[in-house]
Amino acid sequence: MGGITGNATALRVTVGILVLLAFVPLLHNGYYENLGRSVLMFATLSLGWNLIGGYTGYVSFGNVAFFGLGAYTSAALWQHWHQQSLLVAVLCAIVVGVVFAAVLGLPILRLRGHYFAIATLGMALALQEIVANIDWLGAGAGYAVRPLDAYSSYYVAMWIVCAGSMLATYLIARSKLGYAFVAIRENEEAAAVLGVDPTRYKVIAWAIGAAMAAAAGAVFAGANGFIDPPTAFATDSNVFPIVMALLGGVGTVAGPLIGAIILTAINESLWSRFPQIHTLFFGAVIVLVVVFLPRGLLWLLDTRGGWRAVAATLGAYRV
Amino acid sequence: MLFWQDLVNGILVGGIFAVVALGFSLVWGIMNIINLAHGAFIMMGAYTAYVLFATWHVDPFLSIPIGFVLLYAFGYCIQRFVINYVVRAPLLTTFLLTFGLSLLIVNVALLIFHGDTKGITTSYSGANFSIGAVTVGWTKLWTLLVALAITAIMHVWLSSSRTGRAIRAMALDIDAAQLTGVRVSHLYAVVFGLGAGLAGAAGVLISLSYSLQPSMGDPFVITAFVCCVLGGLGTVQGALVGGLVYGVLESFGAQYIGTGLQDAVALVVLLLVLIVRPRGILGKVTA
Repeated sequence: MGGITGNATALRVTVGILVLLAFVPLLHNGYYENLGRSVLMFATLSLGWNLIGGYTGYVSFGNVAFFGLGAYTSAALWQHWHQQSLLVAVLCAIVVGVVFAAVLGLPILRLRGHYFAIATLGMALALQEIVANIDWLGAGAGYAVRPLDAYSSYYVAMWIVCAGSMLATYLIARSKLGYAFVAIRENEEAAAVLGVDPTRYKVIAWAIGAAMAAAAGAVFAGANGFIDPPTAFATDSNVFPIVMALLGGVGTVAGPLIGAIILTAINESLWSRFPQIHTLFFGAVIVLVVVFLPRGLLWLLDTRGGWRAVAATLGAYRV
Repeated sequence: MLFWQDLVNGILVGGIFAVVALGFSLVWGIMNIINLAHGAFIMMGAYTAYVLFATWHVDPFLSIPIGFVLLYAFGYCIQRFVINYVVRAPLLTTFLLTFGLSLLIVNVALLIFHGDTKGITTSYSGANFSIGAVTVGWTKLWTLLVALAITAIMHVWLSSSRTGRAIRAMALDIDAAQLTGVRVSHLYAVVFGLGAGLAGAAGVLISLSYSLQPSMGDPFVITAFVCCVLGGLGTVQGALVGGLVYGVLESFGAQYIGTGLQDAVALVVLLLVLIVRPRGILGKVTA
């Protein structure tokens, strides 16, 4: 078994892929660059979700809130202070994301299971509505973010954010922090008895995940050149990362990037072939992944049963 | 008086919320599934009424049983042939599964009906009467009465019919129910069918006063959840009280806090209820 960071071989292969992704801008092909940046963005979001949803076992359905906050932080910096440095934007976004996560986390993380999931979903929807009502943030119309001259800087920035998130996840998973998260997932009461303060560690997991999402949002806003409530708080950016983590392997370091690569590839090929109904196919993909691979691809690597193991899971959860 | 008008509007819309919440509450309370496709089922019910009205001029009130039966059959099959396979998996699984189903259904509807908004205008659509300064639309009043009737029928059926009692037994202890001969895979499908059927009936009622569009049902999922938490989960009375109270809260929220902030109001209500009275207004203390 792979232990707390997941299958070691899969992790090495994934790091290799991540390193290869760093060279995409050298192709000087705008299409591949956008596609690659999209993979990196979703992988980062998925890694952020994975800390709270995967390692700590609190299924959040509202992590897009932090992505949106990050995007708006970077857009507001340009709009109101003509601040164009990506580094400043990302750092400010991280601060805003962490502060929001800590403040909102204290009431919301008291909830569990379905209640937590719906409260986080409500949080994302409410934040989108509130932003759409604030004139200073461009209200419903949104506003433009002037792109940098060197467009590839956004790619490089997203790569650094993604690689940083993956490294952070790896280090956290192997540290005391990671074991505390998993202890809360497996049995919160038992963890509390053993001296793990659940509230404290849940807020930490949630806030670190929020920092990752906010950083990705800040880079996204610049690369996209325009931000409004539906783009900043898109359902896609909310749900795709969860499906990606599920497909790759929940609670592993490599899972999110593997899931992001596969699902972005599927989504892109569906989008180019069936522009009208690609969302329909995506719904079908979600259903198939959930029914046939509820434990993800990495789990399949660790179990030596192959398809028989898949069949066994089908039997295990049915009524 | 603005206050009385808001109160009446809230109660009228609360009747619809009650039917929406009832189906959601059954599925959640008995199978522990948060059905994110509930809104898609509502949309299907509304479009059923629309097609019947546009093609054969069937009065939407007559479409309620049709919507219920169609959606019941659809929901039964979905549970029997899809959800039953993962119903004991961790929470995330059913959550994402129903989300995927919702995406699928809404996009099929988008293909068939396109994205433009549609509406049903009956001969009595604009008719209303006044009591003092309060105006009440006839359609909305009848909608409320039908909603109350549906709730009453469900209550009687669940408490006295053989199947209804088997369903409640299943909610109490699934293994014990199975030992006494309850066919869980069939009854789970019945419960999900009922949830979908009630969503379909609610959708027909909604089609009378809202405009139709493939994603119209989505906001109702949060509404249904908040109503269930507010009233108390898993009982018919809980869904009714939750629906009516939330209808009034939303009506006042739109008046005094501002429109376009429904989800923010819902979230605040949800968090307050969960912190102050987690079992809901009518809920009993459980372990």
